[in-house]
Amino acid sequence: MEKINIAFYEFLESLSDGEREVIQHFFSEFDINFAVSKAERRRFRQDFERAIVALCERGVPLSEALERLSLKNLGGFYARPSIMWFPLDDAAKIYPISMEHDRQQMFRLSVYLKEDVVPEILQMALTFAIKRFPAFATTLKKGFFWHYLDAVKKRFAVEEECTAPLGAIKVSMSGSGSFRLLYYGNRISAEFFHVLTDGTGGMVFLKVVVAEYLRLLGVVPSDRGDLWDIDETPTLDEFENTFPKVERAKSGSGFVDRRALQMNGRLSRRRPCRIIHFRMNSAQLREAAKRHGGTVTAYLLTEMFFACSAATDELSGEINIQVPVNMRKFYPSKTVRNFSMYCGVRIPIDKVISKDEIVKEVTEQLKVKADEPAMQEMITAAVRLVSSLRYIPLVIKQPIAKFVYGFLSEKSYTTTLSNLGVVTMPEELSRHIERMDFCLGPMAVNRLACAAVTFGDTTMFSISKMTADPSFEEKMLSLLESEGIEAEVEGSEYYDH
Amino acid sequence: MTIKLTYPPKSKMRSGRRFLLSILRWPFIAAAIACPIVNLAVGGPAWSIIALLSLYAVWTMVLSTDLVEYNRTSQTIKTVVFICVLLTLIDVLLAPGWAAFVVPLVYFGGIILSTVLFFTNFEKQKHNILPLILFLFFGILGSAVALSIWHEHDFWPYIVTGSTSLLCLVVIIISMGQDFLRELKRRFHVK
Repeated sequence: MEKINIAFYEFLESLSDGEREVIQHFFSEFDINFAVSKAERRRFRQDFERAIVALCERGVPLSEALERLSLKNLGGFYARPSIMWFPLDDAAKIYPISMEHDRQQMFRLSVYLKEDVVPEILQMALTFAIKRFPAFATTLKKGFFWHYLDAVKKRFAVEEECTAPLGAIKVSMSGSGSFRLLYYGNRISAEFFHVLTDGTGGMVFLKVVVAEYLRLLGVVPSDRGDLWDIDETPTLDEFENTFPKVERAKSGSGFVDRRALQMNGRLSRRRPCRIIHFRMNSAQLREAAKRHGGTVTAYLLTEMFFACSAATDELSGEINIQVPVNMRKFYPSKTVRNFSMYCGVRIPIDKVISKDEIVKEVTEQLKVKADEPAMQEMITAAVRLVSSLRYIPLVIKQPIAKFVYGFLSEKSYTTTLSNLGVVTMPEELSRHIERMDFCLGPMAVNRLACAAVTFGDTTMFSISKMTADPSFEEKMLSLLESEGIEAEVEGSEYYDH
Repeated sequence: MTIKLTYPPKSKMRSGRRFLLSILRWPFIAAAIACPIVNLAVGGPAWSIIALLSLYAVWTMVLSTDLVEYNRTSQTIKTVVFICVLLTLIDVLLAPGWAAFVVPLVYFGGIILSTVLFFTNFEKQKHNILPLILFLFFGILGSAVALSIWHEHDFWPYIVTGSTSLLCLVVIIISMGQDFLRELKRRFHVK
């Protein structure tokens, strides 16, 4: 901290009297914008000081730097005490109940820029952007019947990534957040506890933070497209629990399923113990999918069925791959809270022989199981379940739900594939972005979980590993390469001790 | 398969809690199994119930702490509740005749301590109020029930505990004003 202050004071000394006066004027209204503790206000001020120095060191004129960092960007967010709160959405209610010390339902989204991240500017981007996401500026609380999110006005700090990804977020302390924003080299990553949002909502947030980061560096898009404007006032429908609004089906079903095969390999203590990305050309991937007569998701699922077969010694039983389904495509909603369900694509292991037939089977199963009527039934079941449990105190619900969710639910599927699809950014911003990736968090029983996202001409297929056994990824890679898809393999070390 | 490393190298530090839990889990399980077996084998009062509860208290308060709302208010109250339950069990199972007098006094001490801790960090702790509300509520309720049952005995500890609980609750409601109602609304929501 001292070093930073010295840097700022040295910077001040290098300025003319007029420029010092401009800075003094900039900070004259600073305190009234922060109705937080003295220590917290000091930290905010240091963030501004560091950002001013960082921008000026990059050759931005002082007046321009101060304009970009204007206190108006705060929108009075920190000037008001927090009074808002958000009940958890119907999908999120299970997550705090089922979590453990070292295992939370997490996911991670990353953006790789073409230049290294400037941490001082990223911190300011988060400080400015968070006001647009009041449900994210919260801390998890325990009610008598359900958990909920309590608004908190504090400095959400960006952190340099220095440990294994997707570690549990400590949500137990007063005011602790449920997400973290990390940087590492040219990568900006947001890790979310699922209680806050799903992949789609998380991506909306990350895109806004990255856009704000680039704005502070002087990149402003002429057309924002679907990018949220941080100066707009948040609306209720952006943070609502949309599940109860969906029209109920006549019957509710879809939660209980038969046991599925599990891949072999000893579960690691640290989960995920490794992250592996296959960086692929999206055109090559689309071409391969087209050759087999399926979508990219169906094709990836097909290859996964073969890779799963190679990663287990079982000769009979069914492989079931869970596929999250974004409900927004059936029920248009602006919400950035959880609004997805899932379906399972299930094929007996002894039928995993012909690729074309598996693609056909997967496509057919997706058509039925990931379609609106099936999803509507599942939502109905979820809403009914939540509604029937609402008057049971949490202290009674918790141990039962923990057992059912943590032990039984994962046993009904072998692994997961979550495909976020194609993510776009405004043209001017895209020029500064290399690619994106998406990773799923730890699993209790499953040996791995897969996720994919496409940005520009790059598709990143990511595997979160819970075991050291490399059979799955080796088979997957050879299958992709045999289809003419060149995949660069990146990732982490094996983190388990 | 060659992997280009794009993540930080693994740190040499173990997760302290995970390491501790992995080591201590087995002695705890062994003790939890051994206590009732030894108790049944040697006969006598059911002291193993007290041992089991003590093991659980150490496990949940020291090793596997609360995952949500781990704060000074909740932990103080949890400690006091465990002490009161253990004292009651010791009285019922091992050495009868004193808990009806001692437990309300320990509870009273817990009320004073948790209220002081609450007010010395008011701005933060007002968001952690549920355990304190329940603690005070049960203080009032428990005292009322005890007074109606043992009204012919020495009942002043219950009067002290009940009235202190009520007083603290009133002071908290006055101090928090509108925030108290807001807090109640969110704490007891069923949405």
